[in-house]
Amino acid sequence: MATRIDEPITIGQKLPALVKEISQRRIDAYSGVRPRSIHSDEAWARQKGFRTCLAQGMMSTAYVSQMMVKLVGPGFARGGTMSMAFIKPVYAGDRLTVHGVTKDKQRENGATRVTVDVWVENQHGEKTAVGQATGLLT
Amino acid sequence: MPESRKTPTAFKKLTYDAVQVGDEFVSDDHLVIPEDVETHSFAVEDDHPWLAESMAPPTLMANQALHLRHSQYIVHAGLHAKMEFNFLAPIQPGMRVRTRGKVIDKYERRSKPYMVTEYVTEDESGAVLVRGQFTQMIIPEPEAPHGHAH
Repeated sequence: MATRIDEPITIGQKLPALVKEISQRRIDAYSGVRPRSIHSDEAWARQKGFRTCLAQGMMSTAYVSQMMVKLVGPGFARGGTMSMAFIKPVYAGDRLTVHGVTKDKQRENGATRVTVDVWVENQHGEKTAVGQATGLLT
Repeated sequence: MPESRKTPTAFKKLTYDAVQVGDEFVSDDHLVIPEDVETHSFAVEDDHPWLAESMAPPTLMANQALHLRHSQYIVHAGLHAKMEFNFLAPIQPGMRVRTRGKVIDKYERRSKPYMVTEYVTEDESGAVLVRGQFTQMIIPEPEAPHGHAH
């Protein structure tokens, strides 16, 4: 994989943040377009009390995956883990920032497992998802 | 056609009482095509050269897992609370993948019902690519905020 970060990884290291503009078009591409869906039917979303359509929480797992692939390369797709809790809605039009800080490094079968605390914040500084991911550096 | 496929699925409304620990689900097989990777990459603004590496993003098939309960239940509404992945082998374009799941727990917290499903996503040979579990809130129909949520 071409984008792996090659510098030595240290505990407490802040990873380069990812910034994501959550457009309706990207939500539609991720979730599909259906009637009576809070993800793609704005009138329905408003009827149900939301100010506009919501992004799937799962989109944030894809962002964390991107961050980990940049960190460890193929050791994320082959041996990586992720655990996320979705704690606040993400709306179309939001701007998310994905953060990661390395928490631990452990030897594992000839490789190094890197553990990263991850969280996602919206443009108001509110956390929308929190969790942890690990990947293998070979 | 297998015997079990001759009778159309009788979908039930998903409620806390209807869902049972031990319920098992299986998705349809899905052929991973380059357009899946391109669409996913566009959706989440991922500029990694996945197709040049003949690989797919690790979370590409996450919605196949999340939608498992739709194979047996009419899901009036729900919210995704937690997601766990263990990535064992890369998903690649050209693979036919399916996801199997089993309800391993259900519980109520702060008067809200939840179900927990463990899953494996595998290729056509049965090799496991991704395994994990996820927690979804079940929103009863009268108070449901929406018709389709993930």
